[in-house]
Amino acid sequence: MKKTIPAIAVHIAAIIVLICCIGLLGGNGNTEGREKFTGELERNVTLRILENDTAIKQGYMSELLTAFNAKYADYGIVAVDANMDQYTDLANDGPYGYGPDVLYQANDALMKYVDNRHIMPLPVERLDCYSTTGDKSWQAYTREADGESYVFGVPVNIQGPLLYYRKDLLPDNWQTEWDDDGDGVCDIVQYWTDMYRFSKQLKASDEVTSDGAKRYGYMRSFLEPYFSVGYLYSYGGYTFGSNNTDARDIGHSKGEAEKGGWVVRQLASVMDERCIDDSVTVTAYSALATGEYFATVTTPDVYTLFVTEMKLRGYSDEYIAENLVTANMPMLPVSGDLEDESQGFVPSKMMGGIQGYAISSYTKSPNAALAFVDFATSYEMISRRNELLGIVPARNDVANTVGGLSQIINLNLSEGNIVVMPSISEVAQIWTPLQTFFQDLAKDPFRPSAEFKYDTKEKIKQKLVDVDGQIYSAIFTLA
Amino acid sequence: MTAKLKQFFVKTGISVKNFFLGIGNGFKTLPQRLKARWNAFVSFLKNADGNVVASCLLMGLGQLFYGQWAKGLIFLAVQAVFVLFFVFIGAKGLVGLFTLGTVESNAWYGVEGDNSVIMLLLGILSVIALILYAVVYVANVKDAYKTQCAYDSLKTPPTFRKELSSLLDRNFYKVALALPILGVCVFCVLPIVFMILIAFTNYGGTTVPPKLVDWVGLENFGKILTLSDFAPTFFKIFGWNILWAVLSTFINYFAGLGLALLLNRKCVKGKVFWRLFPILAYAVPGFITLLGFKFMFSYGGPINYYITQAGGSAIGFLDIDAKWSSRLIGLAVNAWLCIPSSMLLATGILSNVNGDLYEAARVDGAGPWKQFTKITLPYVLFATMPVLISQFIANFNNFGIFYFLRGGLYIDGYFLASDTDLLINWLYNMSIDNNYYSIGAAISIVIFVVTSVISLAVYVMSPSYKQEDTYQ
Repeated sequence: MKKTIPAIAVHIAAIIVLICCIGLLGGNGNTEGREKFTGELERNVTLRILENDTAIKQGYMSELLTAFNAKYADYGIVAVDANMDQYTDLANDGPYGYGPDVLYQANDALMKYVDNRHIMPLPVERLDCYSTTGDKSWQAYTREADGESYVFGVPVNIQGPLLYYRKDLLPDNWQTEWDDDGDGVCDIVQYWTDMYRFSKQLKASDEVTSDGAKRYGYMRSFLEPYFSVGYLYSYGGYTFGSNNTDARDIGHSKGEAEKGGWVVRQLASVMDERCIDDSVTVTAYSALATGEYFATVTTPDVYTLFVTEMKLRGYSDEYIAENLVTANMPMLPVSGDLEDESQGFVPSKMMGGIQGYAISSYTKSPNAALAFVDFATSYEMISRRNELLGIVPARNDVANTVGGLSQIINLNLSEGNIVVMPSISEVAQIWTPLQTFFQDLAKDPFRPSAEFKYDTKEKIKQKLVDVDGQIYSAIFTLA
Repeated sequence: MTAKLKQFFVKTGISVKNFFLGIGNGFKTLPQRLKARWNAFVSFLKNADGNVVASCLLMGLGQLFYGQWAKGLIFLAVQAVFVLFFVFIGAKGLVGLFTLGTVESNAWYGVEGDNSVIMLLLGILSVIALILYAVVYVANVKDAYKTQCAYDSLKTPPTFRKELSSLLDRNFYKVALALPILGVCVFCVLPIVFMILIAFTNYGGTTVPPKLVDWVGLENFGKILTLSDFAPTFFKIFGWNILWAVLSTFINYFAGLGLALLLNRKCVKGKVFWRLFPILAYAVPGFITLLGFKFMFSYGGPINYYITQAGGSAIGFLDIDAKWSSRLIGLAVNAWLCIPSSMLLATGILSNVNGDLYEAARVDGAGPWKQFTKITLPYVLFATMPVLISQFIANFNNFGIFYFLRGGLYIDGYFLASDTDLLINWLYNMSIDNNYYSIGAAISIVIFVVTSVISLAVYVMSPSYKQEDTYQ
């Protein structure tokens, strides 16, 4: 016993000493920081580029890669398709070496990576597009960190809702009956009050399409806050204070936002119950093609889907180009009542987004990645992107050259009529409460009158206050 | 009714009591067993010779001194592997388990800091490795002492070859179980312990790697029970969850059994053909079925289409006001998905029932209902109770039904949840949609405790437990 216990004790002590010495004294690897954008291009490296699916399908991605690889062949830099899901999560993949080097996503998706430093602050002033891209676009990618202001992404494409309508479905007498301002453009697509009146008339009538489906005027699901929250913005509401950066100041109920809620309720009343869930969204392309719907609102990038549906129904390219029209959002009445235009009109504000490039913090070749971003946002490549994909360029010079909708949307952005989605991670908490609210509000006109929940603007205001509280709780209760 | 209910609870209580009494009886002999082991240990300490002491110091050394080269070298190699593991991974892992990291990484400047979650995982892995090391160490000392005892009693200890061959014969169970135990430790124990430990940290929200996570004790459980927003939602969802689990299990089980009995009847023609339909429903992936049902009940779906074509108003079967219709649709859709499996199970079991029992019952004057309650049901219940319990747990944790049918709603009076959400959906809302992993883990533990207690209570009062020998 004299020797056994000490022998066991020595063994255990040796193990403990081993664990303590190595465990406590073991290093943490590299703890020294270094500047990554030295300006010196890395040689013989491969860059993994994550682009969106449309760019890949339409062949833009391969053109971009071919052109870039040819330009940087002398350095041995090769850019390849990262071959990942377009919504891949860099936070999960990047730290373990699986993510892309350069990624193209919307500002809200990209900027959520800033909190934990998954994407890098960029020396954007070195880029060709720096001076030709509007301040509002850069703002979407700017964030304070460590007391300084940094830019984390390079804007490429502005996303904002547009009105899609069928010109051939306008009333025959629109020039005499629906053009009060005499500007030669039908008021129905210029003012929500007229759109409401026209939709109400259609709903009350027995007009049907050639398929026998009942005809409606404006149709749009209110389920998606991305398309609905703009009505609140138009009357003074906002998502987060301090230009969408202060999550403690939630403002969907601020200003006269309840007027926007009232507009939503009125618009829902001239549709049918399908505006409550996502039924309208699912059928919008075909329903506009059959003439069941006269107009809807969606983003510019789905134009080809409407065209495809119309072609399926035998319309020629010329006829479609002439009659499938995309236009700026109609104006809203100051009164917030679609039956009262006596006080004049205000522009519609809508939520939008800015898609752009960011560079992963885990890239081994930051300078080559920056060269790629510079190349991909050059005048030539953005022009080509616009040509092939129909995007709205964030570069003002390209937008001015292209004109048309690109110019209108750029103007909307600079005038604040496109409110860019917040670029802070707390934005993730706004969608479900807002979605629930808009679903509830859109349902209201279809409830029996005794069960109306939002038959006054005050009730809408109160509910919006609750929604803001709900979002606040979701962000801060468990934080 | 009240008396029956009372009797039910009394019976359950007695069964649970008996179950624990059984476990208690096992503990009664524990002191004797411990005493015997202690005596053996003292005897080992007194009698161990120098070679055994050498094995205590360094694994395999005693065996080498005894001339058991192969065995000694294997133990020595195992010792070396463990030391290397602890030098490169284990030591840091064990320390990291306590600290969860001290240096925050900064990817902007290439600063490699600590990843708290990885450290937690490595810490658990190191603890498992340490336990395995202790087991091997004890086996090494025991083996050396066994060899000493053999020499002391003038016997020849078994050769290495003999011991190896015993591993394929008498001790084959050790070989057979070694890999599965290792697999269970890594793929089962490790994730479960990881999830449990997460509940005691502040992992989630904005505190996710590369930010450092810290231990917070029972704070998350406190939040569940005390936060004014949180506790009422928990109890509301919990109540509905229990109701859902009981109702859906009951409907699925008895509808499946009923269908099996119906298709088992001799008068039914083309049984195979009729059995095909439920199997087809079973074969379609669940989420496809759920999305199909969601479309059917939507405002733009076929049901509302026919309602409006017939002159009626569209009905919001699954919309914001539709608490109970959504719940009933959920039960019906779940029945559509689960009844086929219950039917198949019951069909298999019914084919084994001895027909003589029914013959004898008929002779004694028992009607079809009596035969069902006295022969069929006890037999099927006996055979399927474990499956029934697993169905209950699966229904309790049925994530897909309401996620696909009615996801994306936060209802007034609920915190980050809707009135059809089950605990598992709420867990998802918080841990995936809102990143509150630690709170999610704490709720998981609560779910585990609840389902365990209910399952245990049901099992111990079932014929499968009480009358284990009845049908053997």
